[in-house]
Amino acid sequence: MEKKGVNIMKAERRTGLVFFPAFDWAISPTHPEREERLLYTQDQVLEEGLLDIDGIVEYKIRPADFDDIRRIHFCVPDEGAVTTESHMISAGGCLVAADAVLSGEVDSAFALVRPPGHHAMRVVHGNRGFCNINIEAIMIEYLREKYGIRRIAIVDTDCHHGDGTQDIYWHDPDTLYISIHQDGRTLYPGSGFPNEAGGPNALGATVNIPLPPQTGEKGFLYVMNELVMPLLNKFQPEIVINSAGQDNHFNDPITDMNFSARGYATLNAILKPDIAVLEGGYAVENALPYVNVGIIMAMAGIDTSTVKEPNYDRDYKPQPSYITQEIEKLVDEMKHMFLEDKISKPEYSQGQIIERIKDIYYDTDGIRERQRESIRYCKDCAGALSIESASSLGQHIFGVRIPYGACTACMETALSWFENASHGSFNNIYLQDRVKGTYERK
Amino acid sequence: MILGLDVGGTHTDAVIIDENGIVAETKTLTGDDLLETLRLSIKDTVSDIDTNLIQRLVFSTTMATNAIVQDRLEETGMIVSAGPGMDPDWFSVGPSFHVVEGCLDHQGLEAMPLNKNTVLRASDIIRNKGINVIGVAGKFSVRNPEHEKQIADWIGNSFNHIALGHHMSGALNFPRRIATTYLNAALFSIHRKFSESLISILDEQGLNAPRYLLKPDGGTAGLGLIRSFPAQTAQSGPAASVMGALALDGCHGTTLVLDVGGTTTDISAVLDGVPLLDPTGIKLGPYLTLVRSLNTYSIAIGGDSEVKIENNDLKIGPLRKGMPVAFGGTAPTPTDAMITLGILDAGNRDYAVKSMERLGGPAGWDGVKTAENIMDRMSGIIADAAKTFINDINSRPVYTIHEVIEDQKIEPSSVVVIGGPAPQIAPFIGKALGLPHRVPPSFGVVNAVGAAVARVTSEIILQADTERGTVMIPEAGIHEKIDQNFDMDSAIDMGRKALKTSAAEIGAGTDAIEISITEKQVFNMIRGYSRTGRNIRLKMCITPGIIPEWKRKA
Repeated sequence: MEKKGVNIMKAERRTGLVFFPAFDWAISPTHPEREERLLYTQDQVLEEGLLDIDGIVEYKIRPADFDDIRRIHFCVPDEGAVTTESHMISAGGCLVAADAVLSGEVDSAFALVRPPGHHAMRVVHGNRGFCNINIEAIMIEYLREKYGIRRIAIVDTDCHHGDGTQDIYWHDPDTLYISIHQDGRTLYPGSGFPNEAGGPNALGATVNIPLPPQTGEKGFLYVMNELVMPLLNKFQPEIVINSAGQDNHFNDPITDMNFSARGYATLNAILKPDIAVLEGGYAVENALPYVNVGIIMAMAGIDTSTVKEPNYDRDYKPQPSYITQEIEKLVDEMKHMFLEDKISKPEYSQGQIIERIKDIYYDTDGIRERQRESIRYCKDCAGALSIESASSLGQHIFGVRIPYGACTACMETALSWFENASHGSFNNIYLQDRVKGTYERK
Repeated sequence: MILGLDVGGTHTDAVIIDENGIVAETKTLTGDDLLETLRLSIKDTVSDIDTNLIQRLVFSTTMATNAIVQDRLEETGMIVSAGPGMDPDWFSVGPSFHVVEGCLDHQGLEAMPLNKNTVLRASDIIRNKGINVIGVAGKFSVRNPEHEKQIADWIGNSFNHIALGHHMSGALNFPRRIATTYLNAALFSIHRKFSESLISILDEQGLNAPRYLLKPDGGTAGLGLIRSFPAQTAQSGPAASVMGALALDGCHGTTLVLDVGGTTTDISAVLDGVPLLDPTGIKLGPYLTLVRSLNTYSIAIGGDSEVKIENNDLKIGPLRKGMPVAFGGTAPTPTDAMITLGILDAGNRDYAVKSMERLGGPAGWDGVKTAENIMDRMSGIIADAAKTFINDINSRPVYTIHEVIEDQKIEPSSVVVIGGPAPQIAPFIGKALGLPHRVPPSFGVVNAVGAAVARVTSEIILQADTERGTVMIPEAGIHEKIDQNFDMDSAIDMGRKALKTSAAEIGAGTDAIEISITEKQVFNMIRGYSRTGRNIRLKMCITPGIIPEWKRKA
């Protein structure tokens, strides 16, 4: 209720917080994605008194429903089989954050929820990289459906390449996906290089910035100022989302980066995302409590210069100069590609169907998947899309997507794909019609 | 027999109750001198009573609240250790606030040792200002009290009183811990003097039974025993009303309790006989604290609120312009409306009716129509506030999948209305809320009855970490080593003992104590794909309730 008093700070920017630690859920009894993960973050947030700040509003979470998932995913065999209540609630947390911002109640919001989602791709056979459904993508399609927002930018600052989000928005020219991560040659999932720049209809709307191990505060902030912010400025999104993974931290045990709580806070203050969503980060005691406090304070516009890990002075090592040079070189090359539109582009003709074959591995569930994806090259819209997917579990599905704002020709193409697909070869045939907002299976 | 007394803004109410109900009740005007008011009220109340038969005395006073809001706190020095995070200077309180070097992390591990020089320098400055009381608060001191204890040790005996943050509450919230420590230190001497004076008044009257003060959580604590935590006796008035409603009505099911006073209405809720507590702590004057309290919500509207018409619309409150017109005042009030409608027989009805006619005339309403409109509007405002109150409770975040799926919501099944205009306003409020309404007997002195029958309450918060091998119950001063076998059962055992001890320390009897577990969580601590320990969180309390003597009678 009333949050005013002499020992109470006032936030410069009204900030919504959807905190959902899922204290009763883990992937398995000793898995890192565990009950305890946000316990110490909660301790730190409570002890700092952040929830008493006038202008920080904590929201109650609600579960998403299957319709929210169907706008994005082809779930195999169905939504119920690949999700648990925890996934629906985590996704719901993002929707609550979106509503808080879009209703104007707060200036920005942070969905501090688990489990994460950025490794979940368009087709879902199971769990990859601790993710089942892509909670940001579910939120983005909700923003489009409910609030009519079209241009959206995602800045993914998780240490791992967000290959799931990349896959989902690969063909969408209205969604700018920027991922800053540890070089895929040294870390799961092994992808995310600058030449992965988006499909034929959305070239340049996927931007991968692979940073060398040991990148520190200086490198991350350089990339933000020199590349990410100019890219956003060029794209002019209506909404900016931060996939706020926290495993670039110098205390993180499974990555090799050298970022800090204050660095994350500064990054957030530069980016000023409308909505931030927690992704990975498993240094549950030594990194998450401080990074999350830093992010919340930065979102609220509170000075974060006093935020610091207890072992910062002892263990934080400034970025070596050869790393600085390496990053400067990368940024120069990427500026050339993405800011000056020098991405090499094959010649396609209007209406041409372009195919690609993809092999996907679900590390958590041990599933192998092969996809054949077809996109209609189109100058007028994001293009009709179809995906044929077979998994090592024996599933074989066919999914067709009519994108948001599709042109008549793409709509007709997609509908004919759907109509002509027969049960002889597939267990399930799906149609996502984002123009009509309908979802069909046959 | 029991004496219960509640000091209100306008009146001080007192009752003597026994197994048959209320034996005596008095209303005394509350004057500027609190002790004089208490003396007059007590004297008046026991005038026809054999004081030897009184076995218990309970006071709900405004001593602490007044000292805080009238800025009569004793000058108090603060020594604070914080470390990284929110800048502690943002929470500076009192005339001499000092941040010293040294800090703990969220596990209670020492992240930076205390710097003795900075502590001594701070205490010298405080002493040299002529300050005699001091508060010490450390970030995460409820995970490890050693820094606070070390600071107290270094300061030595040169102050009259040292308040330590971890004793205030086991809850995490550093800014509130600072404020709560400060207030308890700054009220220490004032409270002691007040207690001594109250004791001599009681001695004068031959009232020698055990003496208690009411707390805002609806519980009591021994007058002499609460000495280190005087802030816990502030703002007990709303709790007195709720406990009275509980005693006189029973509050079965989910009950909204509305205390309609002269200028304010307090809203609270009782679930199956247990009043709802505030999840964080009460606000005292301008300070958010860790002092436990019932969840109450006040709005500035009551029987004596001024009624105006602005832009063709009725406006009730928030100000009071003296007495109702029926009692010689100038501004029309809801009380005048009740008198006009003939549902209240008091004062000069002609004056009341005329005031209604004057008020409603320009809008084309006669006196009765105006009065009806006022009653509808007032009950509508109260009903809307009650709905907001319930909605806020139902919108509280939950942190487990179980709770999200269960989606428990409270839904009032009836409303109990107390306070001066209760019988007149209750039917209107019941209608506005669409709920059955009840007005308990003795609705005018419910608060004094509530004070009389409230039992001792207490709370402990336990945190154990078997990886580190420690358990801590800050409120009970427990900080011990444990082994890997310490589990939830061990925690509950330890918590139960600590709670009984701390309740006994503030005057709980030897009767069977009803203990509730309000939070209970065990986390496996996973480090690198294997379990290395358990992190146990437990919160237990003696919930506010009615002493068994009264319950047996009811």
